[in-house]
Amino acid sequence: MQTQEMGRIWHWRTTVFVGILLAFILLLGVSFGPISLDFTKIIRTLFGVSGGLKDEERTLLLELRLPRVLLAGLVGAALATSGAVYQTVFRNPLADPYLLGAAAGAGLGATLAFTGGSKTFSAALPLFAFLGGVLAVAATFMISGKAFSDPATLLLSGIAIGSFATAVQTYLQQRNSQVLRPVYSWILGQLTVADWNVVKWASFYILIALFILIRMSRLLDGLLLSDEEAFSLGISPNKIRIIAIGAATLATATAVSASGLIGFVGIVVPHLVRGLTKRATNRALFTVALTGAGFLVLADLGARTLLSPAELPIGVITAFVGAPFLLFVLRAKRVMK
Amino acid sequence: MIKINNLSVRYGDFYALNHITLEIPRGTWTCLVGPNGAGKTTFLKTLLGNKAYDGSITIDGHEVYKNLRNVAFVPQRPEIPAGMDVAEYVMLGRARLDGWGRESKKSRTFVHTVLHETQLLGLQHQLLTQLSGGEMQRVLIARALVQEPEIMILDEPTSALDLHHQISTLNQIDRLKDLGTTVISTMHDITLGAMYAERIIVMHKGQVLLDGASNVVIHSPELKKAFDNGISIFTLDSGRPVIVASREFPAR
Repeated sequence: MQTQEMGRIWHWRTTVFVGILLAFILLLGVSFGPISLDFTKIIRTLFGVSGGLKDEERTLLLELRLPRVLLAGLVGAALATSGAVYQTVFRNPLADPYLLGAAAGAGLGATLAFTGGSKTFSAALPLFAFLGGVLAVAATFMISGKAFSDPATLLLSGIAIGSFATAVQTYLQQRNSQVLRPVYSWILGQLTVADWNVVKWASFYILIALFILIRMSRLLDGLLLSDEEAFSLGISPNKIRIIAIGAATLATATAVSASGLIGFVGIVVPHLVRGLTKRATNRALFTVALTGAGFLVLADLGARTLLSPAELPIGVITAFVGAPFLLFVLRAKRVMK
Repeated sequence: MIKINNLSVRYGDFYALNHITLEIPRGTWTCLVGPNGAGKTTFLKTLLGNKAYDGSITIDGHEVYKNLRNVAFVPQRPEIPAGMDVAEYVMLGRARLDGWGRESKKSRTFVHTVLHETQLLGLQHQLLTQLSGGEMQRVLIARALVQEPEIMILDEPTSALDLHHQISTLNQIDRLKDLGTTVISTMHDITLGAMYAERIIVMHKGQVLLDGASNVVIHSPELKKAFDNGISIFTLDSGRPVIVASREFPAR
């Protein structure tokens, strides 16, 4: 009896399965569109084996589809992981990555970039959105002051900052009605601007943030306990909260500045993984990231093909799937009580 | 050795702990008793070091405030995370020893043994939210045991347990003392506390009213005063004292 050992707590089979599924979804993502590309030819092209795609098809794959699909995957992973982390930090299953003002701040930043008018300003839009998001979250921390360890206070501060930023944004839009349209289309989210440049800088920040978050996933589980218990297990809960929110904000702000506001991914995906694995802990974080990537690549595929050749904003697809799902989760919770 | 010098904890103008000075040697079991609101839980939580205080608390010469040490804590009212099962929760107790993020083979063996000893083996894949109060309390104690702590702090470890599990749990904690672990607990059942702890500290309104060897303290008339004379002390034929609440609790 003494030599017996517990089984591993997380079943890596789940993660491997999701990983394989993601690879398949990525392939679907680059294959389908107004012009369909052949699976084997795509693989041959990607691995540099002879018999791959030629000419326009090759350019279509390498310069348009591939960066777009990769960006969708990165953004999906960033939003899903940040969402799961926020839900842990706030001990609230409905927390999402935009909660602390990141979305409203980024929206304000984007509006400022558009109202700036000149071409250079519009080019700097990602930077403006990024700074807006980060500054809004920083402001949320500042106004909650020492009380930031209390989830409710931090949440309320986030709501206050968010409302304030939205108010300023609305005012600016009223004063400059010509920016209404671009801002609105940005808010709905879009991946049309994806090129290798965007993929490069977005993947840099997002991968760093995800690495930190997944690395500290067991520490995050400690945050599910009371602060005294966490401390007795060897965690400083406030430090972990700051690092976790910092990394999640970096991922979120990067995602937002690369692709606009894509709603619901941060709520739907963590709950989907929890529902399927029956686990609410952060051991699932890596799997959540992979699932988020797959979810957004699929959503983008829908956005490109449903009304082809016209494009739907991706936020419409995620909300179309996400809103009913959220209601379903809420109902299931009520039944469980 | 834990040295507490002139320790106070205030909530506004209210002193939850009022200038306490005492020492607790290694490998001993100290039991805190006293009426509700005497400051027992505040005292335990302050010892953990995540709470601001005036005065000083040192363990082997190191101030405890914000100093992470191998101190296990069994709270009276834990935060129970949804979607976490017993095995995973108990495994959190090993995280410091393994390093966060890894899970050693040794830990998995050790957790298995402790789950066996605490009679939780059948429940290891149950979600925490599905456990009874007594089962949850044993899970908390199992998590503390796998920490292999220098100091074990328990807030009412037996309050939700049936008689059989009260004894088996306290016996397990008692065995830790042989490994040099210092045990500090609160217990409402003073009789039970005196059976295990060699020292009893009676607290009243944030102060230490009585402090001494268990068998001395429970015979002291001061003990009755701490509970506003609401307790009766009987002596069994074997000479063992039994402390119970009086039926006629005096009006305050």
